[in-house]
Amino acid sequence: MYPFDAIVYLQRDDHYKRSDLEQRAQIDAMSINDTKDKVLKIPDRSDYLRDQRRSGQEIMGVLPALYPRELLWAFNILPAEIWDPPGEILLANVHLQASICPIVKRGLEFILKSPEIINSGYLFPHTCDSLQNLGTQVKDLIGVPVPVYTFYNPKGEFNKASKRYYSEILFNLQKTLEKSHGLLSQNQLKAACELGHKIDIRRQMLHAALMEDRFDLSNREYFQLIRAAEYMQGQDYLDLLNHVEINEQIGVAPRARLLVTGILPPGDDILNFLDESRVRIVSEDLLSGSRRIPIVEMDQPDDPMEYLVERFFLLPPCSTKAGGLDKRLQYLKKLIAKSRCHGVLFNTVKFCEPELFDQHFLIKSMKVMGLPVLNLETELQPGLSGQEKTRIEAFLEMLDEGVPV
Amino acid sequence: MSLSAKLKYKFMKDYGAPALMSLQGLKRRRSRPTPSAFGPPLESNARLKEILTRHYYLSRFVPGVKKVAWVTSGAPVELLRVFDFYTIYPENHSALVGAKKQGAEYCGIAEGDSFSQDLCSYARIDLGHMLSGKSPAGKLPKPDLLFCSNNICQTVLYWYKAISQELDIPLIHFDAPFVSDRQSEADIRYMAQQLQDMIPILEQVSGNVFYMSDLEAVLKRSQDSSRTWGNILKAMQAKPAPMTIFDAFGHLAPIVSLRGLPVAQDYYNILAEEIDDRVSKGIGAIRDEKYRLIWDNIAIWYKVRYLATFFAERKMNFVTATYTNAWAETIDHLNIKDPWNSMARTYGQIILNNNLKHRLGLMRRMIDDFSVDGMVMHSTRSCKPYSVGQYDLRKAISTSLNLPSVIIDADIADERVWSEQQIQTRLEAFCESLEDTNRG
Ligand code: SF4
Ligand code: SF4
Repeated sequence: MYPFDAIVYLQRDDHYKRSDLEQRAQIDAMSINDTKDKVLKIPDRSDYLRDQRRSGQEIMGVLPALYPRELLWAFNILPAEIWDPPGEILLANVHLQASICPIVKRGLEFILKSPEIINSGYLFPHTCDSLQNLGTQVKDLIGVPVPVYTFYNPKGEFNKASKRYYSEILFNLQKTLEKSHGLLSQNQLKAACELGHKIDIRRQMLHAALMEDRFDLSNREYFQLIRAAEYMQGQDYLDLLNHVEINEQIGVAPRARLLVTGILPPGDDILNFLDESRVRIVSEDLLSGSRRIPIVEMDQPDDPMEYLVERFFLLPPCSTKAGGLDKRLQYLKKLIAKSRCHGVLFNTVKFCEPELFDQHFLIKSMKVMGLPVLNLETELQPGLSGQEKTRIEAFLEMLDEGVPV
Repeated sequence: MSLSAKLKYKFMKDYGAPALMSLQGLKRRRSRPTPSAFGPPLESNARLKEILTRHYYLSRFVPGVKKVAWVTSGAPVELLRVFDFYTIYPENHSALVGAKKQGAEYCGIAEGDSFSQDLCSYARIDLGHMLSGKSPAGKLPKPDLLFCSNNICQTVLYWYKAISQELDIPLIHFDAPFVSDRQSEADIRYMAQQLQDMIPILEQVSGNVFYMSDLEAVLKRSQDSSRTWGNILKAMQAKPAPMTIFDAFGHLAPIVSLRGLPVAQDYYNILAEEIDDRVSKGIGAIRDEKYRLIWDNIAIWYKVRYLATFFAERKMNFVTATYTNAWAETIDHLNIKDPWNSMARTYGQIILNNNLKHRLGLMRRMIDDFSVDGMVMHSTRSCKPYSVGQYDLRKAISTSLNLPSVIIDADIADERVWSEQQIQTRLEAFCESLEDTNRG
């Protein structure tokens, strides 16, 4: 059923061909330099984007979550993803009801401030009902001084019709962008896909290393690293990834090992608290994270468009694609087994229907498996509330005692 | 298919159901009096009740006779009709639960099983029904197939996935790409292909064979019913309007859940005749129609009577709604001779799958065609595709047309979300502003 049934690969238990990945990574790493800093320098998002803009870079604001980034790179557009811009939500409240998720609200708040860094337009990939409507609301009712593009991601169980459709809409997006950015160079697209391919491989390898306790980043640093993909140029990001040391030796065993699933990683304060508590997130199934990296190592891009189509269908199961629940559970079970996690943290964005529906089944199934689960609901506000702290502490104590929750 | 089940179904269809209808008739005679602000009630109400009661009643005897499919309101049901599925519409059932003011109870059952309170209440009610077996309709048959399309929302896909998982029932999903600008050829091809790919699965589940001529006949009936429904709604352009949109919320049920069946067409012929008669005689749905309003979004099922009375007493009548129009709006795209592509056009462009520029244009036309004086928008907590964007739609309409308007925050079927005092204050302020405009 390749490539529609990517989960089969996991079941064959060859998730991440590690020896290949490591070999490739060593070559990449050698080619960079031998003078790596031990300290990882992740550029600040706003500073980085401002610098890019100052240098004349075209920047497109991209709402969550799945879109063909390589196609944008090939048009020399830098995608700046808009997930959870900080600050108070004020302007967006005039346009959106109270029961809309904070990602949608923060996205709109950002757009309404007409940020200067966005000069190439906004792209709304089709993710959920709320973002779908936000796209047309911004484009057709609110109005912004830059173009608004949309991109439909097929939903449900994929089949041959989905694959053909995806390839056609990719082509349509290319044609649309050509109107404003000139003809697409096939060589540039190929180069973009090759770069994307290298990033994917390095990301797969880092995730594998994370599961095996083979690097020294804190929880917070790890997610800063992962999230830098949301705004950095591909090559800069690859360089950054290549600077991360992967240890030969397995590190010190943490107090507890967690898998985190949801849309975004927990906020910095929660991550810091977990770090202080010697709890390690050893695997992640996040829409902003590993759900955007193919489930297996793909072949080198030969035909770039074909490569992009295959890549989409090789992404892990995700609530926003609305595939079968069982597939998602099987996938998570594999991550759980590989990462030897002791418990699962559901980091739930308030009002997120796609995740809330899936979660019901997943949490129940995990409890049946005897796996402790903590469900934290977030409105993406900064800080760690007393209540959150107490719940996390109680959860950790249960993990210490090995008592299923 | 067992012979005894078949005989029992036939007996119930021919004798049991009609006997039940007679009993309903006796009960009806003792129903509540109509408030004086209303005109004479529609006679077709009785027939409507009969049809729906019969549909739910007979569904109990269907297992073993026909395959049962649970279907979403926007799904291309015509394809299922060809295979003789008995169709149940969970959204319709949830609305019924809501109308009986039992929504909170059913939602509570789902929430007790740890479904989030932030999910659409139609879904929670249905999950509550699935978990408890409760239903104001007595008992619903378990599905052999689930059939859903995300042309109304992505929510239904999650909801049906949950049922599919829980009951281990196959799910057929019709993926309808959202129309952000206009439908592309790729969109049409994709949808048409999916429809054709469903045939072998439907043949397998139903045990029946597909014939194109059957599909053509069903599509023709479906198109006729939708057109008749559209004409009934159009007749509300008359002054006074022969029915209120609150009536139409009820009379919508057959076009949603019996579409493509002769019973729906027969029913709308009767209703159309009555409506035409009322128009020719100048009979209005409310006694003294002074102001004409448009309703946006799904009904607030547990408050239909309250709202109808509130407005009728102020000589205000809802004469049109984006919601009731949804099952008539795109029917002209249907071409019986080109079923697959034209079904893709018809089902892919319905209001909730279409962009807000389209919705704005439609609402402006409705306001004009129906001589509308004011607009009430129901912002429903349950439904993101209907509600996200309403604030800006309101602004665009109010400013360009200088139309008084109000938004009320409530929910379609979970009565816990209703805040009577706050809503009444808002509505009263709206009515005052409408009266101040000297419209009407
Ligand atoms: S958090 Fe959920 S509801 Fe919000 S934008 Fe993301 S997928 Fe949509
Ligand atoms: S109310 Fe809205 S979200 Fe709920 S099922 Fe209907 S269309 Fe979907």
